Amino acid sequence: MTRLFLNRALAMVAVLFGLAVAVFVLQVVIPTDPARAMVGSNAPEEVVAQARADLGYDQPIPAQFAAYLGRITRGDLQHSLHTHNPVSDDLGRFAPATIELGFYAALIAGALGLGLGLLLVGGGLVGRVARVVLVGWAAVPAFLTGMLLIVVFYSWLHVLPGSGRVDDDLLLPDGPTGLLTVDALLTGQFALLGNLISHLVLPAVTLALLPAVAIARTLHASLEQVMGEDYIRTARSKGLRERTVLLRHALRNAAGPTLTMAGLLVGLMLGGVVVVEQIFSWPGLGLYVTQSIAYSDFPAITGTTLALGAAYVVINFWVDVAQAVADPRLRSA
Amino acid sequence: MKPPAPILDVRDLRVTFSGRGGRINALRGMSLQIQPGEVVGLVGESGSGKSVLGLTALGLLAAASDPQVTGSVQLDGFEMVGASPEGARQRRGTAIGAVFQDPMGSLNPVMKIGRQVAESAGGASDEEVAAMLEATGIRGPAAVARCFPHELSGGMRQRVMIAMALARHPKLIIADEPTTALDVTVQAKVLDLLATTARERGVALLLVTHDLGVAARICDRIAVAYAGRIVEQGTTEEILDGPRHPYALGLLASRPRLDGAVRGGLLPTLPGSAPDPTSSVVGCAFASRCPAADGACLTPVPEAHEDGRLVACHHPGELTTWPDRAAQVIKAAVAESAADGLAARKAGDPRTPAVVATGLVREFDGRRSGMLGRRGPALRAVGGIDLTVPAGGSVAIVGESGSGKSTLLRMIVGLLEPTEGTVRLAPGPSPQMVFQDAGASLTPWMSVGEHLAERLAAVGMPKREHAAAIDRALHAVGLPVDAAARRPAQLSGGQRQRAAIARAIVVPPPLIACDEPVSALDVSLAAQVLNLLCDLRQQLGLALLFVTHDLAAARAVADEVVVMQGGLVIERAPTDQLFTAPSHDYTRELIAAVPEAVAA
Ligand SMILES: Nc1ncnc2c1ncn2[C@@H]1O[C@H](COP(=O)(O)OP(=O)(O)OP(=O)(O)O)[C@@H](O)[C@H]1O
Ligand code: SF4
Ligand SMILES: [Mg+2]
Repeated sequence: MTRLFLNRALAMVAVLFGLAVAVFVLQVVIPTDPARAMVGSNAPEEVVAQARADLGYDQPIPAQFAAYLGRITRGDLQHSLHTHNPVSDDLGRFAPATIELGFYAALIAGALGLGLGLLLVGGGLVGRVARVVLVGWAAVPAFLTGMLLIVVFYSWLHVLPGSGRVDDDLLLPDGPTGLLTVDALLTGQFALLGNLISHLVLPAVTLALLPAVAIARTLHASLEQVMGEDYIRTARSKGLRERTVLLRHALRNAAGPTLTMAGLLVGLMLGGVVVVEQIFSWPGLGLYVTQSIAYSDFPAITGTTLALGAAYVVINFWVDVAQAVADPRLRSA
Repeated sequence: MKPPAPILDVRDLRVTFSGRGGRINALRGMSLQIQPGEVVGLVGESGSGKSVLGLTALGLLAAASDPQVTGSVQLDGFEMVGASPEGARQRRGTAIGAVFQDPMGSLNPVMKIGRQVAESAGGASDEEVAAMLEATGIRGPAAVARCFPHELSGGMRQRVMIAMALARHPKLIIADEPTTALDVTVQAKVLDLLATTARERGVALLLVTHDLGVAARICDRIAVAYAGRIVEQGTTEEILDGPRHPYALGLLASRPRLDGAVRGGLLPTLPGSAPDPTSSVVGCAFASRCPAADGACLTPVPEAHEDGRLVACHHPGELTTWPDRAAQVIKAAVAESAADGLAARKAGDPRTPAVVATGLVREFDGRRSGMLGRRGPALRAVGGIDLTVPAGGSVAIVGESGSGKSTLLRMIVGLLEPTEGTVRLAPGPSPQMVFQDAGASLTPWMSVGEHLAERLAAVGMPKREHAAAIDRALHAVGLPVDAAARRPAQLSGGQRQRAAIARAIVVPPPLIACDEPVSALDVSLAAQVLNLLCDLRQQLGLALLFVTHDLAAARAVADEVVVMQGGLVIERAPTDQLFTAPSHDYTRELIAAVPEAVAA
């Protein structure tokens, strides 16, 4: 297990390095000139040259790369051209909203996926109907789902808010984590907590739907396969209830492929978060990066890309570890 | 005095499954009674319906195949045919225990042994679990209870299965090929364990096996199944002394025997094959293969009782020796080419040897004890072995499990890097491997044809020639041509094994390495596969390297036998010499452990 842990950790570092390289290469090959973007398109040529020198873009590529690596390992992501704050500060400000949204979406996706997957295995009419609905859902892009939910629950039914993290007239908790629901809970502001959750529901569900469907289908497929295995026959021969056979014997054996799928889905969700934050005006990294694109704010874009990429890699590391916990055979490998 | 009510009472049981070419008749009117505490063997070739009978009694027929069942199966007075799922489940939990063939796959890989045993008992303390494990001869039961299945050997896992089957004090245990996947030395111990625990606790045992020798070792009574019916039933002595049904006689005759009476490349096989399970049978199902058949045999066969012994045959006892005409003819033909081959080998085959391995050593990292524990000493699985397989030669490696046989084989074919030493292979296609567990060595979603085509494509054969080559290979291994379109799950165990061999020979390699190729097969299939390997060897000039725990199989196939123990070669000799004059105690022990039905 320790060995596996170290192996995976090493692989993670290698992938993170690859990510840094990829982002750097993108910066180099993109035809836009970051120095000009910084000083504005009307600035005289000397000013651009000066800015270029300040940013180090007049150096040869290898030197630029070395400087870049040095910077990002120190956590220095340069200053945003638009907000003029250090990008790392901006990320610190916008990330909690995204983390909160992502966390609840992942929770919903996991629970929904698990429930639907088990429902599908149960077969019967409910299972078959669920299956059709799922296949239909999987074809609907997130922005449509989001709009639809807003129209139904906000415009028509007026039961849920359709934008932002919290009602404007409420004072935000000044808590330690920046995750508002956690802070509200810690400071005992339950009315605020309710308001926060009502704002979370629609974007989190929108973000969770596609992954939930994918998880359900993967889980279903691997459960079907596992239910044909000899050890399931053994479990049945003990006279166990079918539900016990499914939950105790089949589910954990089916976890492997489902976890792999869940790891891949993290990428899908990180992409989805950009779209969903747009639709619901959710003040997170997605909104930050879309604005940065509008301003050709290179440091901000690179910084966010690095942060999201790193999140993906780190989450997948833990997925690998979870897999090893679920399957003892991997542990001794 | 009235005999006690049977614990299992099967009457005129018929089971069909849905299949492509119509419904498959798995059981065609099977009847069998088992009294409380009785140990009964159910013997028959592959596809005769043995497993289906067991699964019907357990109420565990695969629902996906839409089984339809008529007749009656009374389990301790409870009718299982047509029982509600809940009723059948409760019976399973209390009246019956099951031990299945493959101990590797039959235990949940992600659950600790102790929990699986406790669950089987319907809840048990750690001490109780340890006691149950200990009763099946497991040493250090408390530690074993904390292991996962993959940490145990096959024999240990099968002991765990037996402990689980006994956990709820059932009245009947159904053991379906419980020792087929095990090593011969372990096989005997596990069989004896099953029989003694059953007898001590008064539990009835139905032992399903394709091996008459295995049944004879422990059973009071033997029932011989053919094409979904019982064709002969009697006490073990009666059956072994002189079967009165021609099929039972043939089955007895086709067992590879340790005395090597049938050496020289061919074992007698039952010619022909069982009737197509999708067709209905008029008269005797064995008629097309029976040397004693005549016109009367086309009328329905009575389940005649003769002196209390059941023989479903119009001419019981008429046949006393199995003539095996077909085998005689082939044998004569092959003997000639074999003589040529042998002469060539004696004169020194001019071709380079198929394999020359020198000084092979393989070590495995020791296990860690716990998360951060210290790594144990490295395990020396193979401790320095030289081995040569001449071109077209045949070498068998025998030894008990853990002796390093498979590790050696895997190094020779290049699946495993040796720690030390070198392997020199003859030029040509790389050696092919045939594994024991053919099901696992075939990719589930690829058809048999695709498996073969993959190898053809690898040697650059044009696509349009594939079909013919595939047909040839399937024919050579005795599979129907339509098998090409089927996926592994749609074949029986024996057919999968033949498909794996077809894959190995579709491009003839200089060497075929077999790891326990027949230990999961029934006798007549095993005989066919061994014959097939010998034939292929003669025809294609292949060399065979053969890992087996079945000494009879080794004797039938090999020119030279290498005995391994603890990673070292302890004896090697030409086959005849090894069996007639073994020089090492361990070799004698191995030979003595073979279950032998036939008094030589
Ligand atoms: N789930 C199934 N679906 C379709 N056909 C089946 C199924 N199980 C068994 N059969 C068919 O029923 C017949 C009897 O099979 P069974 O498994 O009982 O044979 P067996 O005597 O146990 O053979 P073996 O020694 O190979 O295990 C065979 O023709 C087989 O193909
Ligand atoms: S009934 Fe006829 S064909 Fe069938 S086994 Fe007896 S003799 Fe042979
Ligand atoms: Mg079977």
